[in-house]
Amino acid sequence: MSGKIKSKKGYSRLTVALAAGVIIALIAGYILGSLGKVPESNYYSLQQQYQNLTALVQNLTASVQAQKIRAAFIYVGPVGDYGWTNAHDVARRYVQNLFPWLETFYVESVSAADAPAVIDSLIAQKKVNVVFTTSFDFMDATVEEAKKHPDVIFFHCSGYKRDKNLGTYFAELYQLYYLNGLMAGALTKTNKIGYVGAYPTPEVIRHINAFALGVKAVNPNAKVYVRWLMAWYNPDGARQAAQALVSEGVDAIAYTEDSPAIIQFAEEQYKTTGKMIYVFSHYSPMYDYGPDVVVSGELVNWGVIYEDILMKIKEGVYNNTNLQNVDYWWMLKEGAVELGAKFGMPINPKFVNALKGKFVQDPTLGNISIYDLIFVRLNQMSEETVTFDPFTGPIKAQNGTVMIPTGVRAGHDTLWSLNWFVDNVVGSPTG
Amino acid sequence: MDIVTSLLLESIKASTPLLLATLGEIYTERSGILNLGIEGIMAIGAFTGFFVAYTTRSLPLSLLAAATIGILLSSLHAISSITFKANQTVSGLALAMLGLGISSVAGSKYVGLPLTLTLQPIRIPYLASVPIAGAFFNQDFLVYFSLILSIFMWFFLNRTKYGLQIIAVGENPSAADASGINVELVRYLCTLFGGALEGLAGAYISLAYLPGWIDGMTQGRGWIAIALTVLSLWDPLKGILVALAFGSIDALQYVLQPYGIPVSLLNSLPYVVTIVVMAVATILLAKRRVRPPSALGTPYIRE
Repeated sequence: MSGKIKSKKGYSRLTVALAAGVIIALIAGYILGSLGKVPESNYYSLQQQYQNLTALVQNLTASVQAQKIRAAFIYVGPVGDYGWTNAHDVARRYVQNLFPWLETFYVESVSAADAPAVIDSLIAQKKVNVVFTTSFDFMDATVEEAKKHPDVIFFHCSGYKRDKNLGTYFAELYQLYYLNGLMAGALTKTNKIGYVGAYPTPEVIRHINAFALGVKAVNPNAKVYVRWLMAWYNPDGARQAAQALVSEGVDAIAYTEDSPAIIQFAEEQYKTTGKMIYVFSHYSPMYDYGPDVVVSGELVNWGVIYEDILMKIKEGVYNNTNLQNVDYWWMLKEGAVELGAKFGMPINPKFVNALKGKFVQDPTLGNISIYDLIFVRLNQMSEETVTFDPFTGPIKAQNGTVMIPTGVRAGHDTLWSLNWFVDNVVGSPTG
Repeated sequence: MDIVTSLLLESIKASTPLLLATLGEIYTERSGILNLGIEGIMAIGAFTGFFVAYTTRSLPLSLLAAATIGILLSSLHAISSITFKANQTVSGLALAMLGLGISSVAGSKYVGLPLTLTLQPIRIPYLASVPIAGAFFNQDFLVYFSLILSIFMWFFLNRTKYGLQIIAVGENPSAADASGINVELVRYLCTLFGGALEGLAGAYISLAYLPGWIDGMTQGRGWIAIALTVLSLWDPLKGILVALAFGSIDALQYVLQPYGIPVSLLNSLPYVVTIVVMAVATILLAKRRVRPPSALGTPYIRE
């Protein structure tokens, strides 16, 4: 019995000990457990919060990225051409600095055949959501790419094909060519004025016609002699064409070619032989290349167009479904173009007195100096309601046919497809 | 000034960079080295000439710099094709691309900056007033230099011991080697000399013809110079003729335009003339047994 009790007692002691151990363990466990449980629950809630935060950050980033415009510019020439492509790149840098939400990319010297691959890779790798293609050559490639990437916004410069996500834009210079023509007509002493054209496209023909109409308005006896280069960039050819014109008695030259070669040629003639050839700079500020010979010129400011397009995309005015009828045809009124060979200098001061000293009889303005006439026309074309247009009839073609009847102002479509020269131009409009 | 004289005046200017580059390539090829990198060397020469003139306001310094950069660039070709016996076509083409690329990147900040310091014509009294031929005597320093240089180069090549060594190295390098001529040295000197002239050819464009820097202003003249080297039958004196012919064809196009000839046809004139001249040259070559330097394009490995 006692053994039993003993054993019982022993058992009970063991039990007690075990029980105590268990209790201690339980308490300890409870305490430890509860201790552990607190941070554990905290940890989970922290993790939850972290995940929420991450999601929030991701959403925010996504929405910021969605608002961030990534625009690609496809250039046909090198940015160093000092003509067309350079002018677009100046504008690209302008909007890049202007808008903090804008990131720009560009690829230069792209051929029409390579354009689709270049656009595809910019969309795939750089995630661009706006694409500007800045050459007429890119028109068909842009149309195809716009169909292929319906969520990307496309803008094509100088073309006429549009789509729901493809708009068009252009900065037009003919008003300035007309004003340059007024100056050339007034300054020429030989009544022979030259024009060196790139290609016989409607755009260049329009510019030559506007220039010739300006000449005619102040000097009905002067003729405009045309030479074609068959290249947008060919400084050698431009120089040689100018030389050919000068050797035939031409003493004033305007041109369409992406270099200052003709200005440099005229300046060189002036410096070495004292011969004065009045020249008009093209596209980029070229006054510094020929301060003795540059009268004026045309300057383009693509920046205002890019600014307007990008701002409207940012504000949601333009999206990938409503560009079917978006076509910019911006001129003096919108500030996309400016008169002069240098921004802020419409006429080289050297020639101001010569222009003030010549007068012309205008039906409505009376006897007016050429200088004043230039600024009257400039203002009329810069106003909100344009009250003067060079292409107002009667305008005759070279063979004497009336192409624009008296009193009629030629519209966008007529000007867009010009393939004839006005009657004081000498040369072929087909090259 | 009558039309012919004024056109000739302009043609001489247009042909000068072609002449300088062609003269350089004639010596290079005469020694047996084919350098297709002229376009690249000219592009960097043009930029260097402009850059040094723009920053230092010194024309002698800028001409020196353009020649030096030409020597440096052609030394790349010389090392790979003479010392390492590499394929000369590949090495030359690589140099052309390298030169165009480097000049484009280096020049990007200098586009639209006109150069007021330019090579001015030096009128030679009496001679300059002669009708037509006077056009040759109312030109700038580099024009006179290139014309005198062609005569000197012709004389040096055909009438001096060293000139004959160059010809020997280009015709039969192992025989030249056996007779004690240092083949590698001669080839190095000819290639580097060619590079110097090609650098100057580029500088002529940026300092005299179109003062300033525009990307791609060499306009493929380096490639034309390679063709002109063949057309000149590797003769410096004929080099003047072929360069002038090419310079005037270009200028002539715009004189002929008002006569109703389609512009696209006129534009193809230089190419038509190239084919005609090549055909004539081939006949002449066959008759007079003139042919390219026998060892042209093949590296010399001593056996």
